[in-house]
Amino acid sequence: MSTKVILRSFLESQAAMIKDGGLDWLDAASDEITGCGLEGMEDTRFGVLLSLASRKLGHSAKRSWSLSKSEVDSAGILREGWNPTHWTALEAARVHLILSRMDLELESGAQAIESAFRFADEGELCALYRSLAHLPGGKRFVWRAAEGCRTNMVSVFAADVLDTPYPAEHFDAVAFNQAVIKALFVGVPLHRLWSLDRRLSADLARMALDLADERRSAGREISPDLWLCLGTFSGERGLAALELEIARAPRLSDEEALFGPRAAVLALGRAGATQRLREIIASGDSSLAPEAELALGGEAMQHSWSRFVAPTLC
Amino acid sequence: MPTTKRFFDPHIHMSSRTTICYQEMAEAGIRAVIEPAFWLGQPRTNVGSFIDYFSSLIGFERFRASQFGIQHFCTIGLNSKEANDEGLAKEVIEILPRFALKEGVVAIGEIGYDEITSAEEKAYIAQLEFAVEHDMVVMVHSPHRDKHNGILRSMDVAAEVGLDMEKLIVDHNNEETFRAVLDRGCWAGFTIYPHTKMDSVRMVDIVEANGPDRIIVNSSADWGISDHLSVPKTAGLMERRGIDAAWIEKTCWSNAMEAYGQSGEIDVDSLNRDQVVDQTQMFGDTTILRGQTPRVDEGAGVV
Repeated sequence: MSTKVILRSFLESQAAMIKDGGLDWLDAASDEITGCGLEGMEDTRFGVLLSLASRKLGHSAKRSWSLSKSEVDSAGILREGWNPTHWTALEAARVHLILSRMDLELESGAQAIESAFRFADEGELCALYRSLAHLPGGKRFVWRAAEGCRTNMVSVFAADVLDTPYPAEHFDAVAFNQAVIKALFVGVPLHRLWSLDRRLSADLARMALDLADERRSAGREISPDLWLCLGTFSGERGLAALELEIARAPRLSDEEALFGPRAAVLALGRAGATQRLREIIASGDSSLAPEAELALGGEAMQHSWSRFVAPTLC
Repeated sequence: MPTTKRFFDPHIHMSSRTTICYQEMAEAGIRAVIEPAFWLGQPRTNVGSFIDYFSSLIGFERFRASQFGIQHFCTIGLNSKEANDEGLAKEVIEILPRFALKEGVVAIGEIGYDEITSAEEKAYIAQLEFAVEHDMVVMVHSPHRDKHNGILRSMDVAAEVGLDMEKLIVDHNNEETFRAVLDRGCWAGFTIYPHTKMDSVRMVDIVEANGPDRIIVNSSADWGISDHLSVPKTAGLMERRGIDAAWIEKTCWSNAMEAYGQSGEIDVDSLNRDQVVDQTQMFGDTTILRGQTPRVDEGAGVV
């Protein structure tokens, strides 16, 4: 099973979201691209087919799809770190077309992808960035992926870095840390940055703590996701920042506002502050003690942060 | 402002306007806009400038509009003024297919004549041929000088190339030109400008005397002295003058949707629903908000 084939099967299961004739068009377009062989389809025609996918699949294909759990799991087995839950049918169709090229391993194929990026609209950019982890010789696109982190469009940034193994596999420390801090800035759910837990560092912890100080000085909210960045690198400064956050809890009543202190308790667990967790459990605080229990039980990996995402940000 | 609170401004150059304009437009009930590709007040000197301009129409500007709950569509084309730089025009026409079929591109436009030169005609015909080949809508800019003749010629040439006349919108009409446009089966756009072109009072006179069919009101607001609220203001004047609400709705909302909707690129159902605003959607570090609390409507979702 290849990514190209599995995407086609997902599209089959989502056929109700696709305009009549859309899948037939997609198959014909895919054949046309594959038919160009190692010579590769000429840039303008390839770009036109990527654009036309939007017109041929229709408006509903741009809305979020609903894959089954087994479909999502099969994607993660095929390509570790890939989670297509937040893709759209249109993006899947476009990535299917990209993967229909026979020349992707060649330099000319990489140039064709770069040309498609240059003329892409917002939706095409999302699909192109989502495709990067599925292209052979992924390292060749590392400049382009970093360019995606410099984008102005939140949707494009999210497609570039979330639910994909690409950043963790290819970004150097500078690019990776920048992606993490930018995710905090623009408010995309950081726990969906695959393998964040394995890429934590003292540098990243310092950058995150600087950001926390900046936010506090400005009287602004600190994202619960920020506490994800400390891990075992929190140090005295990090522990002090977590205590400041936890100390806010008694003044907060709103469920969402409590995400910050609760996340800070989990972060204590990641920092190995087990004695402090026991104190919190002993305090019997109804919102914080359960988090401390989880943290003591080792349930404080990045995926635990999915509980701290506001409903509108899922 | 009128009590009917639902407007479509099918000709406005939002790249030249501020966020205050967007805010006021949304408050006045403008739910959708079309931004036709045009010139920038001075000629561009290389094809890269066009590539970046077209990219911004299908990227950043669309995003900016969405922050205010306004759906942003655009038209792609080489305008008539810059068609006179023939070397550059050739290069621009070559890259048009890379933009004209993008999502949300509702027409080829604004194209047509400015000085009515042969270079303009060459670019016009090449773009009409592309539109016919891809079954697209065309929006024609009518010239400021020798307008009547320019309009007749643009319709004749479009018909010769084989464009279906109901897919042609001729813009910037006045009392002297619009009948010929409607008689041909095309749509007649009217630009309400404070000092030139049409004003609201004359516009209302035309609707009153001729009815609302295939008449489309727009602002063409740009970097010049112009009014981004021309459409709702004209609708307000129609209402005060006792014009039927259905006529106001047609000229300031549904005719534009019907004409440009022929592209298939306007999701009419979603436009008829209330718009969802989510200002937490940011363009990277250059958020449109500057420290103020974002407006997030229920149902808004990030990515």
